[in-house]
Amino acid sequence: MSVLPLDDVAADPSPGRRPRVLRRPGGVFGAAWLVFVLVASLTAPLWQPYEVDAQDLANRLALPSGAHWLGTDPLGRDVLSRIAVAGALPLLSSALMLVVAFGIGLPLALVAAERGRRTERVISRLTEILLALPLIILLLAVIGVIGNRIYPVMAVLGVLLSAAVYRVLLGVAQSVRQRLYVDAARVNGLGSLRVDVLHVLPSMATVVAVQAAQLFGIGLLINAGLAFLGFGPAEPEPSWGFMIQDASKYLFDDPWLMVPTGLVLALTVVAANELADALAGHRAPAGAAGRPSRRRARPAPEPTAAAAGPAATDAAVLRVRGLSVAVEGGPTLVSDVSFALREGTVLGLVGESGCGKTMTARSLLGLLPDGVSVSAGSIGWQGRELTDFRSVRGREIALISQEPMVALDPMFTVAHQLTQPIRRFRRVGRAEARRVAARLLAQVGIVDAERVLKSYPHQLSGGMAQRVCIALALTGEPKLLIADEPTTALDVTVQAEILSLLRQLVRDTGLSIILVSHDLGVVADLCDDVAVMYAGAVVEAGATADVLGAPAHPYTMALLGANPHVPDGEPVPLRLASIAGTVPPPGRWPTGCRFATRCQFVRDTCTEPFGARPAHGSGEVLCVRVDELSRARATWDADAVGAETAPGADPLPPDGGQPPGGSPAPAGPLAAADDHTAGVPR
Amino acid sequence: MTSAAQEAPAVPALQVRDLVVRYGSGRRARSAAPAVDGVSFDIAPGETLGVVGESGSGKSTIGKAVLGLRAPAAGTVRLHGQDITAMPLKRRSRLAADLRVVFQDPYSSLNPARTVGQTLVEPLALQGVRGSEADRRARVALESVGLPGDAAGRYPAQFSGGQRQRVAIARALVCDPRVLVLDEPVSALDLSTQAQVLNLLADLRDQHGLAFLFIAHDLGVVRFLAQRVVVLYRGQVMETGPVEAVTQAPRHPYTAALTAAAPVPRPAEQAARRAAREALGIGTAGAALPSPSGCPFVPRCPLATAVCSAERPPLRPVDGSLTACHHAERVVTLR
Amino acid sequence: MAAYLARRLALAIGTVFAAVLITFLLVHAGDGSPGAVKAGPGAEAAEIAAQNHALGWDRPLWAQFADTLGDLARLDFGTSLIDGRDLGADLWARLPVTASIALLATLLSGVLGIVLGVTAAVRGGRLGRVINAGAGVALSLPAFWVGVLLVYLLSLQLGWLPATGYVPFAGDPAGWLQSLLIPILTLTVGGAAIIARTAAVGMREALGQEHVRTLRAMGTPEWRIRYVHALRFASVPVVSVLGIQFIALFGGSVIVENLFALPGLGQASQAAASSHDIPALISVVVVATLVVVVVNLLLDLVVAALDPKVRTA
Repeated sequence: MSVLPLDDVAADPSPGRRPRVLRRPGGVFGAAWLVFVLVASLTAPLWQPYEVDAQDLANRLALPSGAHWLGTDPLGRDVLSRIAVAGALPLLSSALMLVVAFGIGLPLALVAAERGRRTERVISRLTEILLALPLIILLLAVIGVIGNRIYPVMAVLGVLLSAAVYRVLLGVAQSVRQRLYVDAARVNGLGSLRVDVLHVLPSMATVVAVQAAQLFGIGLLINAGLAFLGFGPAEPEPSWGFMIQDASKYLFDDPWLMVPTGLVLALTVVAANELADALAGHRAPAGAAGRPSRRRARPAPEPTAAAAGPAATDAAVLRVRGLSVAVEGGPTLVSDVSFALREGTVLGLVGESGCGKTMTARSLLGLLPDGVSVSAGSIGWQGRELTDFRSVRGREIALISQEPMVALDPMFTVAHQLTQPIRRFRRVGRAEARRVAARLLAQVGIVDAERVLKSYPHQLSGGMAQRVCIALALTGEPKLLIADEPTTALDVTVQAEILSLLRQLVRDTGLSIILVSHDLGVVADLCDDVAVMYAGAVVEAGATADVLGAPAHPYTMALLGANPHVPDGEPVPLRLASIAGTVPPPGRWPTGCRFATRCQFVRDTCTEPFGARPAHGSGEVLCVRVDELSRARATWDADAVGAETAPGADPLPPDGGQPPGGSPAPAGPLAAADDHTAGVPR
Repeated sequence: MTSAAQEAPAVPALQVRDLVVRYGSGRRARSAAPAVDGVSFDIAPGETLGVVGESGSGKSTIGKAVLGLRAPAAGTVRLHGQDITAMPLKRRSRLAADLRVVFQDPYSSLNPARTVGQTLVEPLALQGVRGSEADRRARVALESVGLPGDAAGRYPAQFSGGQRQRVAIARALVCDPRVLVLDEPVSALDLSTQAQVLNLLADLRDQHGLAFLFIAHDLGVVRFLAQRVVVLYRGQVMETGPVEAVTQAPRHPYTAALTAAAPVPRPAEQAARRAAREALGIGTAGAALPSPSGCPFVPRCPLATAVCSAERPPLRPVDGSLTACHHAERVVTLR
Repeated sequence: MAAYLARRLALAIGTVFAAVLITFLLVHAGDGSPGAVKAGPGAEAAEIAAQNHALGWDRPLWAQFADTLGDLARLDFGTSLIDGRDLGADLWARLPVTASIALLATLLSGVLGIVLGVTAAVRGGRLGRVINAGAGVALSLPAFWVGVLLVYLLSLQLGWLPATGYVPFAGDPAGWLQSLLIPILTLTVGGAAIIARTAAVGMREALGQEHVRTLRAMGTPEWRIRYVHALRFASVPVVSVLGIQFIALFGGSVIVENLFALPGLGQASQAAASSHDIPALISVVVVATLVVVVVNLLLDLVVAALDPKVRTA
């Protein structure tokens, strides 16, 4: 489930916006300069102030002046004119090189990506060999054989560089081909050529453009370099490389001569690379990479009206009050969340994607992403206010997350990754740390601890890796474990084992767990208490048996109705209960109840702001109509047969809108009824 | 919902026999255990068959082989009696247009650079339907999945995950197929969206008489939508039969483990199930690799004996379902 | 691991073979022939034909190729068509010049580039943007132009270093280093820029990985996360780019040797190209390819040492 706010859903820019390259100053400069140089050099014969071979021996090696804007060369020839005229050859021959390189590399990459491994392997080996050859020396050999013919030589360079093009484009083509829309097109019978042209190539366009720009710059440099060595066009036709070579001879007395030609050449290559950068969209991020966000100074915690959680008499190791998390300078993601965790129990934070459960859990360790921070509320840990997260991380509060395979460092063995924190936390030597590591692995149910200790993470199965992650979390002997969807990525039988393991750890060590999940079944299995979250708020909280057994909030009712598992002995329903519409994204939460637009029991009173009501003993529920609904024993209806195929079943927002949010639910049978609601009993 | 097709109709909509699919090529691939190892099943017209398994079971590979995205090493696939096993994709579009697919990931199954309308019209063009007729059918398809017809001009980025999945279903339906392969179509969706899409699939199935090959890992979802189910483990069929019989009274230790492991959102009931599951004694996943002959479940099975490692158990009828276990009768004692 | 190394070795041999083949075919595809070169310009056709016959040019291609392969396998590079010198000995003497420039430039680029790139990634902000932009400009500059500028600055203006010329290592190590310093610096400008960019991207990617989040959740000190874990993760692409850099610098040394009058392989190849000296051409291509291939093999070893996935595959 996503950690980012909902707004970041579109990965590809919608068409119609300004092209990416124009949004960066470098890109604008690069494109503009290249166009300028190209036009200037191609039209040079039309506007050049002097002929390229017009010598003026009285005026040799002159500095810039009104007559010669860039000065003159050792034979008195105008530098500006010569630079302009000289530009055509490198630009055009590099363009030819590009055509050859992509003309060979791109089709090869597409073919290799499409055909089986054998074809790809053969082509890849051949291109690897090509890539290893020393470029310029080989080009010199070519020149030595065919003579100093620039265009053919650049074409040969294109052949050699096609290997590099192939290398890069093969990776991209393979990854695009793995996208399911390519499979769908193939299943529909689209021929392979059309698949490539219509589906694969467009997604590769950016990479192709970036590579082309970069290679163009390289072509210019090589072309100029060859000219520098004397393998450029014959005199008196000017060439940038040779002009620099010429200038270097007069370095001592007349250093200026070197500057204009070199600058023009350098600027052109810089322009090509800036264009490539702009196309690639690379940006040095504004903040330092991956640094955990600092907490801003917050207002002092005020006692909120809904100071929720179990009564103060229970030993609560964690007490969260009025916690709000927001994007800095942006929308709130979690609003006014309160709950308490008793020692040795498991609390579930359950909800669908975007409800804020992951943000809430991560804020307990201060591990919010860059740009997101706690904006209000307090976190009370073991009776004291938790401000210094560094001191509790690993030691008192630990974290396990969703994908165990990537949660471990692929470069180090399991033993190394376990012994490092053990030594840090428990201050023991290396041998003792290894013994402790083996014991921890046994504690989490790994039988052959020695083999696992020597392994690397990629050699472990998913379930094994998660056990290692749990062992890693236990190295600091924490009192609280935050488990962020720990079984979502695992098979169901493996999930069952991990849940049993967590249960056993709670029983044996008195560990408390906060379990974030979207799966009500997992919550029912492991959690003693549960808080159901929707759109950044806790809508219902209490003991799991109460909340799931007799839900008070319509959203909880709907979630249970949407679950296809029915109790033993009951028939499978014809249709499931669903919730029309979508979750309102952060920043567009309505006042009053955020679930109102989708609720089957909505009334006018629901749009007024209100606070949480007590429910389920020491729990709470965030619904204005909770008493009426419980009196009427209201239930969330399943869909009628044929409801989903009816027109208007899933309405869209007006054209030009962002991904939909808050679309009104079609009027259910109860919405228009008056106060006493009569639900249809199951 | 629960009645199975008692008499097999004359021509099954989809028939798979002894399908074997391997990954990779070369000698090493040939000697390794295949991803799909001798799977057979029939789907009658209008019937939904659920194919259930965990990772490594080969269920997705079966879908790909049926669709022609992966060439099988052995076995046959027949669509309405016609052999399409080795048929290249281009020929399929003409002769086997009845078979379409809905994939799992709503975010990568639609080309982000093309409008929904263009995506829907593409399969029609290959059938020779173009222009205004194609546009009309695209709109009809969108409306039949509950989306407005004018959504055709929008790009996928403007839709939510559930809506994109509806578009994917519309794309599958736009050519009026009779058989649909659904590869985990709801696994990537939220619970409430999942319910919507499942309801939609049930509606469409009833309205159009479609046959579904429904690949999933969640037995509860399969029980909702399917009439019959195939349980896979490491590429082999462990048990198959009417969905009620298989899920409520499993006759294979693996099916028993699978049904016992799925948690239900009712704490009291779940506590009882957990106790029962722990009493089953099924071994941990990731244990030693099974022997190439014999039953693949041996390393984890509490009922395994010598014959289980030596001989691969054949599928045989036991109490209403077909099961591949030498000791199927004793599975009852496990629960 | 053994399989991986065997594959890389096979690739290396294949590369050298391909280099020989390509050059051989190139040479025979061109208009010129060794006889024409030896006879000199303006020679009669009959004279040229006689020379070609004496040199075995008119034998079947495959026979000539087999001979070439055989000679090269014995490390017999033949003699120059122009001045009859022993090419093997000549190249052997020139190799250290080019190799030391390329190696030292790669090393310096690596060190400087990694420092700059890691700093840019870790510190971010204005410094990061400056380094990134600076690298973008630096890698676009033509090496020969930079070389001339450095000569102007360091040699002509400041008088710190000699402008041109080569001092052999034996006898005067300090002088040797001085004579090579400007060429090395010239190549480092572009090389360090490329490495810096790669390192910055690699570090940023490393620091965004999920396992870094785990480490942070464990309370691992920040310096450890950056310089032990993230750096290790980023080192793999950096080492690969270093290998590519070496190839590029080895080829780029041609231009630099011309500029600074250094007697290396580059100078030899340039001369051979100008004079159509066919045996010299073939031999310099082969030697250059050999060096590049050996260095890449060593880098493959380093990658295997760094990346467990490669090691255990």
